[in-house]
Amino acid sequence: MADQEKTSAPVTRRDFLRQGSRVAALTGLGGFAGLLVSKLKSETLVWQIDPAKCLRCGRCATECVLKPSAVKCVHAFALCGYCELCTGYFVPEPNELNTAAENQLCPVSAIKRRWIEDPYYEYTIDETLCIGCGKCVEGCHRFGNGSLFLQVRHNLCLNCNECSIARACPGDAFRRVPVSQPYLLKTSYSHG
Amino acid sequence: MSALQKNTDRFQSPCGSKAIGNGQTAVTRRRFIGGQCAILGAAALGNLATGSIFAAAGRGQRADNSENPFAYRVDRFEQTNPKLIGYVEARRFKSPCSEPRRMAIGGDQRIYLAGEKRICVIRPDGSVATEIGLTAPPQCVAVANEVLYVGFKDHIEVYAANGTRKAAWEALEGDPYITGLAVAGNELFAADSGNRVVIRYQLDGKIAGRIGARDREAGVIGFVLPSPNLDVETRGDGVIHVNNPGRHRVECYSVAGDLLKWWGKPSAGIEGFCGCCNPIGLALLPDGRFVTCEKGLPRVKVYNANGEFDCVVAGPESFRENARAGAGSTSDPARIGLDAAVDSKGNVYVLDRVTGNIHVMVPKTRSGTAR
Repeated sequence: MADQEKTSAPVTRRDFLRQGSRVAALTGLGGFAGLLVSKLKSETLVWQIDPAKCLRCGRCATECVLKPSAVKCVHAFALCGYCELCTGYFVPEPNELNTAAENQLCPVSAIKRRWIEDPYYEYTIDETLCIGCGKCVEGCHRFGNGSLFLQVRHNLCLNCNECSIARACPGDAFRRVPVSQPYLLKTSYSHG
Repeated sequence: MSALQKNTDRFQSPCGSKAIGNGQTAVTRRRFIGGQCAILGAAALGNLATGSIFAAAGRGQRADNSENPFAYRVDRFEQTNPKLIGYVEARRFKSPCSEPRRMAIGGDQRIYLAGEKRICVIRPDGSVATEIGLTAPPQCVAVANEVLYVGFKDHIEVYAANGTRKAAWEALEGDPYITGLAVAGNELFAADSGNRVVIRYQLDGKIAGRIGARDREAGVIGFVLPSPNLDVETRGDGVIHVNNPGRHRVECYSVAGDLLKWWGKPSAGIEGFCGCCNPIGLALLPDGRFVTCEKGLPRVKVYNANGEFDCVVAGPESFRENARAGAGSTSDPARIGLDAAVDSKGNVYVLDRVTGNIHVMVPKTRSGTAR
């Protein structure tokens, strides 16, 4: 009878809370220690655009907290065809293949065209002008080799905890990358 | 038992706790766990609701791209004027092999399709007649006198109709990437996109000459190929037709390599070749006209013997998925775009490399549809 009373003795609310607090405190302490260890081991992460997922939607230009955006167009020269009629540089139906403003696709004329040899031209991005709208990227992706693509420039990016572009990105192209490898660059394509 | 204790028992019993004296109450383990579950459930529901609100506020609109103020607009070129379309689709069937590259039509009117690691021989109704297994991915194929010439990246192999390999020619030097073949008489012409030249072979595999090579001293620009899409065709009349995509034109050479004439102009409009580098494929109709294939705005058109626009075989509206794919979406630009082949009746077979569909296009005049 006494044993039965002993085993079924109810726990008081106070005792229960005391024990619960102890367990919670220990769990919290363990979690904090784990977090600290993982933080010490891991690198700082920064935001970057995965070119394979980018949909060239224009939101990098409109959603960034910086004006102009920290996203810029970059050029993989190894992929470029050095085309005379570059669809990243020219509007879809240009009057002539020259540098006249009405023939340029870029809304801020951030792409510079330089003659190399007949019929090849080199295209470079003036990042001080580029607003990261991705219009040239879409032109190059659609008709050309896709050598133009967007990247977050880390000398400009504030590395916001919740990147406002990442929230609005329709392709989920924004992801955190280690600061030691901050860019997701395109290289050359394989010949099959 | 006092009246107070009775009342306490009556009152506390439904809550699953007991009075244990000194004003303290005990919670049963079952009741406590139940309560915790309820709290966790409520928290999860709250989290879900918050997530939904955020989704509605921001992420819910993510798929909508119509408001892009920087959109690249080529919509007006994506719809073909119905009056310009000279062909109707008689049937369509799926390629039996994945990653189809190019195709050819033999004298038996069968389709020889190069893709994956095989050549699929397809009857005109779409059923597979036979398959020839290969050790590497083929890039292109040509057929003559029941002999198959298969172009690999750097060399050509010869197969009998039953699939027996008869010969493997010596690999090309430099940076070869064979993307087109044409055979006529005792010669085979191979379009080498990597070295930007057309190789003239004798049928025993010996190289007899090179056509269209760049010559700085002579001022010959040669083939301009931002992407590996050089193609070659011939009727066996001593004239070789080669596309020059970077210059938006088709060039005609003698077998000796002299440039006889060229035609074509850059334009997103229907009469020209769109984008940076088109056409990417050629085929020859029996009546002397040309069939051209383009990427970017995927369309197949017919030009007359003088290079003047004649009609559209199929416009971008026939290849929606192909148009969306874009060259930049793949690590291998040779896997996008279209290829075409022509049978002896003048029907045009269009291969959509993205979807793997083969569209059989019949002239409207023959199909009974008024143009």
